[in-house]
Amino acid sequence: MGFHVNESQFDAWLTEQRKTYDIYAPMRYAGGNTFSDVDCIRYGKVSSISEIVFDKKSEYSFKEVLSPISQTLFFFTENEKKEADPPKKGAIIFLRSCDLHALKRLDDMYLRNGPEDYYYKRIRDNIKIVLIGCKQSFENCFCVSMGTNISENYDMSVNAQGSTYAINCKDNAWNQFFLDLGASRHLVVPDQVHENPVKVHIPENLTPDVARASMWEQYNKRCINCGRCNFVCPSCTCFAMQDIHYCDNANVGERRRVWSSCMVDKFTDVAGGGSYRKKNGERMRFKVLHKVYSHKKRHGCHMCVGCGRCDDICPEYISFSHCVNQLENAMKEVST
Amino acid sequence: MDINTAKLKKNAFRVTKERGLTASRIRVPGGHLEAKYLGVLQHIAEEYGNGTIHITSRQGFEIPGIPFDKMDAVNEALQGIIEGLEINQEAKNEGYPAAGTRNITACIGNRVCPYACYDTTALAKRIEKAVFPNDLHFKIAVTGCPNDCGKVRMHDFGIMGMTEPQLDPNRCISCGACVKKCEKKSVGALTMQNYRPIRDAHKCIGCGECVINCPNRAWTRSEQKYYRLTLLGRTGKKNPRMGEDFIKWVDEETIIKIILNTYDYVKEYIDPNAPGGKEHIGYIVDRTGFEEFKRWALKDVVLPENAEVMTPVYWKGIKY
Amino acid sequence: MVRNDYIPFPSEILEVIKHTDIEYTFRMAFRGKVKPGQFFEVSIPKYGEAPISVSGIGDGFVDLTIRRVGRVTNEVFEHYVGNTLLLRGPYGNGFDLKNYKGKELVIIAGGTGVSPVRGVISHFAENEKQRKGMTLIAGFKSANDILFKEDFRNWRQKMDLILTLDSGEETAEHKIGLVTKYIPDLKLQDVNKAVAIVVGPPAMMRFSVNGLLDRGFKEENIWVSYERKMCCGLGKCGHCRINDTYICLDGPVFNYTVGKTLID
Repeated sequence: MGFHVNESQFDAWLTEQRKTYDIYAPMRYAGGNTFSDVDCIRYGKVSSISEIVFDKKSEYSFKEVLSPISQTLFFFTENEKKEADPPKKGAIIFLRSCDLHALKRLDDMYLRNGPEDYYYKRIRDNIKIVLIGCKQSFENCFCVSMGTNISENYDMSVNAQGSTYAINCKDNAWNQFFLDLGASRHLVVPDQVHENPVKVHIPENLTPDVARASMWEQYNKRCINCGRCNFVCPSCTCFAMQDIHYCDNANVGERRRVWSSCMVDKFTDVAGGGSYRKKNGERMRFKVLHKVYSHKKRHGCHMCVGCGRCDDICPEYISFSHCVNQLENAMKEVST
Repeated sequence: MDINTAKLKKNAFRVTKERGLTASRIRVPGGHLEAKYLGVLQHIAEEYGNGTIHITSRQGFEIPGIPFDKMDAVNEALQGIIEGLEINQEAKNEGYPAAGTRNITACIGNRVCPYACYDTTALAKRIEKAVFPNDLHFKIAVTGCPNDCGKVRMHDFGIMGMTEPQLDPNRCISCGACVKKCEKKSVGALTMQNYRPIRDAHKCIGCGECVINCPNRAWTRSEQKYYRLTLLGRTGKKNPRMGEDFIKWVDEETIIKIILNTYDYVKEYIDPNAPGGKEHIGYIVDRTGFEEFKRWALKDVVLPENAEVMTPVYWKGIKY
Repeated sequence: MVRNDYIPFPSEILEVIKHTDIEYTFRMAFRGKVKPGQFFEVSIPKYGEAPISVSGIGDGFVDLTIRRVGRVTNEVFEHYVGNTLLLRGPYGNGFDLKNYKGKELVIIAGGTGVSPVRGVISHFAENEKQRKGMTLIAGFKSANDILFKEDFRNWRQKMDLILTLDSGEETAEHKIGLVTKYIPDLKLQDVNKAVAIVVGPPAMMRFSVNGLLDRGFKEENIWVSYERKMCCGLGKCGHCRINDTYICLDGPVFNYTVGKTLID
């Protein structure tokens, strides 16, 4: 059903939902960015629609809700292990179409790459999705090229239209809630982007042989292997395991998993000193091919969803989409 | 020709080596101004001066070659800039009311620079509002971060931006970028413990390198802006020296209060026979002792909780 | 409910066999299906986990040969018979013995690379009827680095064994030189049908495989085992991925036709 609701009606719905869900959405962290007096838009728990930022792309994605940056797996005491508790509530996540496609990539990794992941699954089973309509493309987006500009599998969608929110709701209980509120009914379709200024072309004949192309060399020096591109990416899922003992009680500790990045040093280090992909260009190639080649080979769809966050954040102005668009020539180079 | 040189100097003109000609000194607090004012300066230089402009070492402009009888016209022409830059003035169209307390200089600050911890021009303007006009010889400079591109340690009051880094441990991904950068570019105040950085608050100089290099917003800046206040650096013939740290983790309010208190102190203790009525504050402090200065400077000052006051302060510098 | 694969189980140390100062085999209590070439995530609370390949399998136990090279393994060495270690696994595909049965088998192993393949060697050492011929070329840095010394004494009776050291003096026990030096001298009845397993450090594997190919071995008759950083063993952490292959799920043992496509 479609409705037009005002701020207080939307907030009434949020208040109701907050009894059983935590609401995650892009919000403004004042002064919370790298440079002074610059806000950061990233995910956080909201309680009112006014806290949700609709007119900007979040710098970091929703993935930290499902795959927390640092997630305790279990606690150790001297002789025992205690599994970490799941979140007390389910989650309603506000996200855009590209990110909803990224959710499928997270599922690919956590649910279909090897056995189902216990910690992911227990959060995944308790989420609902609110799709944020995109009226226009943001800078660096290339969702249309990746085929991620349209999404269907949401529970509700919302187009922010000034002080009115046009929603399309697929959840019966939620529909009833809005009807009971007296929300006015309208035909609502989620806003969709049908063209981006940035377009990418992934060559059909792409193979790992492209590793031999000269294009990767530029990144040896340009890239500073900080990993920002991985951390903002909605489909990157790599993590490292950490065991720690608490400083105030060395007999107690925890094992946790923490995001890691294939661009950052030590990612491939094996005990005894071996390591692979020492050059940043090799790391770039490894990451880019995962996004537009390897994942598709294993799971049927490209890992990259074209959100462009990696381009938005790179302090060295390295563009992922620009890199992808070099692949065709690179294949020609290695084929001859 | 009869010119009252004291009055002329107070009005921000200069006695130059060329008889009959003066130079007009335009103060630009914070060193950042709307480009439109450059047109006014061009007009004054071409109409009244010799067609040239000197960019001063204190981020102002000096327009040389102005005949004494054009001073009133120049003052009138300057009115737009004086108002536009919000310079405190006593009477309209009469130019600057004082020149003793020099222009407040600033590095470019966070309007442009990624390292800056705050808007340096805004603070310079705020200080200017509080201290100007004043005939006493005070040099104040602000800079955005401990890189000190503003060379504030060469001033009576040097103000260096600091941030108190805040760690959200749950956003830390143990990449070590902060530790590495702090070690290489700053003071090495960070160490890793349990895969996460620990900050030695005493060692930390608040430069923000950890925040700048954190790829995941685990480190962010404190909402409160902090500063390092350095004291009584100076150039000059007798004993040039770098300003020494006085207070670390101090706030804007306190800095302004301390500067204003220092005016009272100087009025009390300045050598009445100082040549031209001008004596660097540092020499006065050398005479009264630091403790007496501190007593005046910190009068009615309520320091932020984490402020660290260095006392006593000793200066080095070159002595002949 | 999905099983929580991250929670390890305790396993008692039944025996500790000292090979060198920094290489011990820990015989761990274990009942369950396991193949040579598979690996366990071995952990000690508060120190972390490390992937360790199975170097021996027996009734009620698995052998884990551990090299003291990091935070976790250092701590493992502080543990003795009767203590417990935490294990997860076994993970990975391991060696499939049927690929080698009834054939001339050449195994080339370097250093700790002997561990994952030890189960295969032992099997064919004890079951001579299941093989046509068998040659083992094992290389170590020096005499002090030799693992499984007792096994080698036993294996020498049961197969063509070339034990070689990178440097030092030649003795009756061992030769001197890299493993690749002995590939040209391999005595084979039919190189077209002979099979080989190569395990060891990356460079050693690369040159050994090239040596075998030069001798006329078919690519599909060569198997390799890769060591990568396997943090989870479950296909999740991403550290061991090469292209669309996860070493922990699809490997660590690969037929060379696949292994050769894996560019880090």
